[in-house]
Amino acid sequence: MIRVGDKRFPWHEGMTVSILLEGLRDSDSYAVVRLNGRIVSRPNFAATPVPDESEVILIPMVAGG
Amino acid sequence: MNTLKTKEITTYKYERPAIDRGYANQTLCVDLSQSSIAIKPVSEEMKRVFVGGKGFDLWLLWNAVNPQTRWDDPENAICIASGPMGGTPSYPGSGKSIVSTISPTTGSVMDSNVGGYFGPYLKFSGFDALEVTGKSGGNTVLLIDGVDQMVQLLEISGLPEDSYSMSSRLTDHFSAGKNQTISVVSTGPGAEHTLIGCLNFTWYDVKRKRARYKQAGRGGIGTVFFHKGIRAIVARWDSVTMDTNNPADKGALTTVAKAYSKEIRDLDPKQNEMAKLGTTHLVPIMNDFDLLPTHNFRFGRHPGANNIGRDVFQHLFDPGYDGCWKGCTVACSHGVKDFVPMTGPYKGRKVFVDGPEYETIAGCGSNIGVFDPYTIVEMNFYCDTYGLDTISVGTGIAFVMECFEMGLITTSHTGGMELSFGNRLNALELVHQMASGKGFGAVVGQGIRRMKDIFEKEYGADAALMKDIGMESKGLEFSEYMTKESLAQQGGYGIALKGPQHDEAWLIFLDMVHNYMPTFEQKAEALHWFPMFRTWFGLCGLCKLPWNDIVPEDNKETPEPAKVMKHVQWYADYFSAVTGRKVLPDDLIKMSEAVYNFQRIFNLKMGYGKREHDTLPYRAMGPVTALEYESRRERYDKQLVEKQGADITGKDTLEKMAILRRFREKQYEELKDAVYERRGWDKDGIPSVETVKRLGIDFPEVLDLLKANGVSS
Repeated sequence: MIRVGDKRFPWHEGMTVSILLEGLRDSDSYAVVRLNGRIVSRPNFAATPVPDESEVILIPMVAGG
Repeated sequence: MNTLKTKEITTYKYERPAIDRGYANQTLCVDLSQSSIAIKPVSEEMKRVFVGGKGFDLWLLWNAVNPQTRWDDPENAICIASGPMGGTPSYPGSGKSIVSTISPTTGSVMDSNVGGYFGPYLKFSGFDALEVTGKSGGNTVLLIDGVDQMVQLLEISGLPEDSYSMSSRLTDHFSAGKNQTISVVSTGPGAEHTLIGCLNFTWYDVKRKRARYKQAGRGGIGTVFFHKGIRAIVARWDSVTMDTNNPADKGALTTVAKAYSKEIRDLDPKQNEMAKLGTTHLVPIMNDFDLLPTHNFRFGRHPGANNIGRDVFQHLFDPGYDGCWKGCTVACSHGVKDFVPMTGPYKGRKVFVDGPEYETIAGCGSNIGVFDPYTIVEMNFYCDTYGLDTISVGTGIAFVMECFEMGLITTSHTGGMELSFGNRLNALELVHQMASGKGFGAVVGQGIRRMKDIFEKEYGADAALMKDIGMESKGLEFSEYMTKESLAQQGGYGIALKGPQHDEAWLIFLDMVHNYMPTFEQKAEALHWFPMFRTWFGLCGLCKLPWNDIVPEDNKETPEPAKVMKHVQWYADYFSAVTGRKVLPDDLIKMSEAVYNFQRIFNLKMGYGKREHDTLPYRAMGPVTALEYESRRERYDKQLVEKQGADITGKDTLEKMAILRRFREKQYEELKDAVYERRGWDKDGIPSVETVKRLGIDFPEVLDLLKANGVSS
């Protein structure tokens, strides 16, 4: 299992951040997530594996400035 | 340590008014030439039209200067104001000051917002705004003592030259043992010898037992300050509670303040971790999205970026509460304790460095090819200490380094210094030279617009190329975001009133990453709403960061998540609770619109403020060099084919660059048309008579000015 915010989702072999977000509603809203404390940005979603028991925090739209 | 010798020039005793619903209802006017001190009333109309903060600054400045006024003329004013909500403890981000003057680099109106205690202390001492005109002989310190109800002009000898030491000396000198009662505004030798001087505004860090500071950095306000012969302005005030600002409805204020503070406390650790990392969290994110300015905005990404981002600074920052105003839960003003500079007058001594923030990291780091955090911390320290704007310093040195690498300037111009990207020791040496006004640093300190002129006329450099790569607009150096792939942000920089600073609009993610505004009309709408709402913070004494750097968990479910409307509603409630003037979110936009348009017309008064001034260097729109194009060839080729329908078969890089350039420059002009129309301006970018009437700024002088520029009803 992995935790996304306060919800739990089943983990599977080969899961990446992209794959995880595809299963969520409004996944396009997120350009950045924090995966086990590490920042991952959208250009790296597809290449970033999500290990089992991970904690993922979805970072809202980056505001800047 | 030198002994301070104080001589009284003028003392003005006054009776401090009770604050009424966020207003002192008077302003303080100091003429240094006459050594005179006076108080002016604030009318109800002034509050209704200009609200406070930047609005009051602009009105005072408008009445102080004429179209021929230059930055160093005695009549130029430095205006500093808080705002009706300024000084409220516990509502996050309520301690800002706004400073305005005629800028030495743009020749027109400059405004810069800054944290620290000064604005609230000024207001609680009895003044919604301060206006300083004239010139003194030097060594003048202005004391605004709200406790003893007097304003003094003092001549103080023995003051340290630099702002770092001066801030703590004057805090100790005036505090009578209660250092948290003092806020000092000062600058340093960099402001004397350059046109890009900044002002430091202090607050007292009780835990660390030191005066710390934030900067009003942009547009050379510190330079104006120094050349007025004033060394510091000191405000003294005692304790602050929720009652000090005398809100109209304390119960409603407490309710909304508690809700906002709690939300930030709960959500910031899950979101951007501002209270722990400040704005350093942006560095790796900008890098990942190809938005981190690197090598004078040529590129947006570098493998060394992780060395200067959040992962490094979370270990360098001294842990603890870092709010630049009392009770702020964003508390993002972090610093580095016991830093030991390797160069300059503080070499080998332990110092406390306030910062760095994202802008300084990008400007004095990636943009000049420096990926060593310690060099960035040292650049940050000396820029503040000398009173130099880290953004203009960083962007200015980046321009110089590219000119050096292109052979537009050589060691014969730089005093023998190799100034290739990444030369960190020579970058630091330039900062020291700016402070002393010696060597090539004295040229760099003139800012990019003047450097381009000097390099062309005295060194024979290619003017057209420098126009493309010199990252300034209206005479102000760019702040640190890449705009090549965001047309909306090109407008956010190019049409900004004072020049390319992101405090008006930061639309890169909405535009480029999320593609929420594909049409010109949508971009124009965003370039209306966001600058207007962001302007509103500066009218009220507020910081923008709490609005959208921490957002409600259900924000994405709302119709317009980018606006964070739950927070906008809270700000409307906050304004209503303090002032007693019941407002809705749309009213906040209308308040800003009046001030925003007035500032545009103020630019017109000073000889600017037209379409021809809303220009950008091409580097902000697209690749200037083949190197840039080739580095992102796949992206550009794809755009040429898919967006422009161009046939690029058999075309070389230079030919493709020319097609892309024509397209992007045309797009930018079309964007200007759309934005001008949305804002109620004519094709030349001038507000129409109908617009100024609608906004209630149709003063006779405004209408005369519009008429003189061919705009009449």
